[in-house]
Amino acid sequence: MECKGSKQGAFFVLEVSGRMDALTSQGFETECLACMEAGNTRVVADLGGLEYISSAGLRSILAAAKKLKAAGGDLAFCGLSGIVAEVFTVSGFAKLLPVYATREEALARS
Amino acid sequence: MSTPAGTPMSTPANGNNASTIRLGHGIAFRLSALVLSAVGIIFVVMSTATYFMAREALLKTAEQNARTQAQGLVHRIEARLAPISRVPLGMGYELADGGLDDAGILHRQRQMLLDNPEIFGTAAAFEPFGRNAGQEYFAPYTFRAPLGITHTGLGGAAYRYHAMDWYQIPRELGEIVWSEPYFDEGGGNTLMATCSVPFFTGQGRARRVAGVVTADVSLDWLKRLVASASVLDTGYAWLITRNGTYVTHPAQGVAFNETIFSRAEEHGDLELRRIGQDMVRGGSKLVETTSLHTGKPGFLVYAPLPSTGWSLGVFSPRDELLADVNSLALVSAALGGGGFLLLAGLVAAIARSITRPLRRLRRAAREVADGHLDAALPEVKSSDEVHDLATAFADMQESLKEHIRELTAATASRERIQSELRIASEIQLGILPKTFPPLPGHTEFDLYASLTPAREVGGDFYDFFPCGPDCFCFLIGDVSGKGVPAAFYMAVSRTLIKAVAESVAGASRRRGADRHSPQHGEAQRRIPNPGHILARANNGLAEDNESCMFVTVFCAVLDFATGEVHYASAGHNPPVLLRARAAPEYLPTHGDPVAGAMTGVEFTTDTLTLNPGDALVLYTDGVTEAMNPAQELYGEARLAELLAKLDDRSVRGTCQALAEDVHAFASGAEQSDDITMLVLRYNGMTTGDMTTGDMTTGDSAAADNTTGGHTTGNTTGGSGRNKA
Repeated sequence: MECKGSKQGAFFVLEVSGRMDALTSQGFETECLACMEAGNTRVVADLGGLEYISSAGLRSILAAAKKLKAAGGDLAFCGLSGIVAEVFTVSGFAKLLPVYATREEALARS
Repeated sequence: MSTPAGTPMSTPANGNNASTIRLGHGIAFRLSALVLSAVGIIFVVMSTATYFMAREALLKTAEQNARTQAQGLVHRIEARLAPISRVPLGMGYELADGGLDDAGILHRQRQMLLDNPEIFGTAAAFEPFGRNAGQEYFAPYTFRAPLGITHTGLGGAAYRYHAMDWYQIPRELGEIVWSEPYFDEGGGNTLMATCSVPFFTGQGRARRVAGVVTADVSLDWLKRLVASASVLDTGYAWLITRNGTYVTHPAQGVAFNETIFSRAEEHGDLELRRIGQDMVRGGSKLVETTSLHTGKPGFLVYAPLPSTGWSLGVFSPRDELLADVNSLALVSAALGGGGFLLLAGLVAAIARSITRPLRRLRRAAREVADGHLDAALPEVKSSDEVHDLATAFADMQESLKEHIRELTAATASRERIQSELRIASEIQLGILPKTFPPLPGHTEFDLYASLTPAREVGGDFYDFFPCGPDCFCFLIGDVSGKGVPAAFYMAVSRTLIKAVAESVAGASRRRGADRHSPQHGEAQRRIPNPGHILARANNGLAEDNESCMFVTVFCAVLDFATGEVHYASAGHNPPVLLRARAAPEYLPTHGDPVAGAMTGVEFTTDTLTLNPGDALVLYTDGVTEAMNPAQELYGEARLAELLAKLDDRSVRGTCQALAEDVHAFASGAEQSDDITMLVLRYNGMTTGDMTTGDMTTGDSAAADNTTGGHTTGNTTGGSGRNKA
């Protein structure tokens, strides 16, 4: 799994690619915490390049989202496709967390 | 030096046999062999060079010696021959111009014999009618007779000496001529040669030969002289005349009987023939040849005897000439060999002294390899590489011990953890119900479930239990992550959900009783709402969930009196509905979130009615996300396909067929997630076994369904409610 971060307006965009499973998911949480410590609490995770996500990956996302929320920010998602989108739907994460079809939509929210 | 811990440990401890065998080709041996080979080669090269150089030098000297010896012999012979030939010459001078009268001639001849013991006889032969006009033959001859010196006269009709060689040849040549040697049987019984000297009369142009003076010379001394000339051990000298006749020769019967040419002819020896030709011509030379007499190779020196025109040959055998060289070579070889052996002993001793600590170290290493890690290492006092090796070896031994200590500790700790995990696994699997069929005595439905953990402990679970009159709750869950954390969370989730379900069931029953019993006098059944159960369980799980773990749950309640099923899903994979004589279909879900993520989440409850023969297949993502070695997923399509073509439609058979199919699909790929499945088949109501405790029969179920809004705390979409 790889994370590439960039500041875009009020948001910090993390481009996540590869596989987010038990071995790699901790990386995402760490990235988000690093963002938070740098003062970027509003994070958009672009999962367009993500091939696979396991329940451990979901746990990472959940943990990161909770911590960002506690810090007064939020964690939104965009670019979901394929099996990742399916996992988000089936697991109900699409209901728990803000999910947008495109990055533009995610960046356009207030 | 690093510590190649594996090397000594993996060396087969094959004891002393190998060690003694290998010693033969150890460093000591190789070092000795190398040094000695080098020294040996140098020694051989030097000896060979010395030998050949010395041989060359000695051969030159030997050649010189042979020449000198031959010349010496020639001189000794000449020293005696030359004066002899001067005796008749002097007589000739006296006779010239008729210097002596007849008596004077006899006196002079007698005196000559007395003065020269080698001279056997002497004659003064005159030209025909040269002395006296009327006398054709005048040749007074004085010789040694047995009774003393006697005079006689030569010549006559029977002996016409003027035609004889001894007279004719010197007369014609006008110079001294030696005859071929002959053996005089009549005279002295000795080897003789005649020296003939012409004498003259007149002066200038008138000078003419007046006669010939001869001296018969005994050559026994010459024979003895030549024969006694010692030439090394087997060398020899010989003499030939100007015709090539042998005068002396060491071989019996050669002298006087053979010439050098007849001998060369006889043996087919062309070289001897050439030598003979050169000798007869008066040549002097040294040639390398093989002796016909002894058969040995050697050097032949030949030189002429000037006074007679004869030729002397001296043969020196080569091996004797080279005897000195050979003995020199022998001595130097003996010295060199002795030195070599000494050096060999020395080198071997040094090499062994160098490798001795190495051998001790090797023994210690073998002991260590056999597992005696505390084997004492030899002390190496020197400060060379061996010492470094010993030090490094000691370090290695220490770190090996350390490593093994750590390994032992780690192994023990791992075994402890393994054992704890095994117990944990037993406990975890032990809390899952395993009584099939679940409600003995009830045939309205069959249920079977199985859980195959990917590791010792896992996060999947299933559960089933009665939860009210004719109500049966069954559920399946999957905790995020794996291993011990998931196992803990699974135990908490499963316990909490069961507790909540029973509590909800209790509440429902009480509420039902409160509401209905005063009016109808019978227990009004209220089926516990799965959405409600999940909502309460979710709140319980989400509180203080620092680890952010969560669980997906599919929870359903079957009213087995009617076949009605109420169900809710917390982010779980959609179960398969297997209607009798219809294709498998996935139950639609509402995308409700997983349990434990956040509090206050609401879950939709749906309802469906099972007809006798219909079944529900619940599973976790361990089934649909099972991977084969090509990283392909088992998938929902494959699951539906398998369920469609099942032969054995019993709950146990379905579970087993599914497990086998997933296993076959994985074809050896490692199982990455727990595989859990639960199958419930509804058989319908059968008469005679209706009672469950105080529950009423389900014939009022249809009526109940009208009240079954079940939307106690949850907002549910109307679409979720299927009415029978």
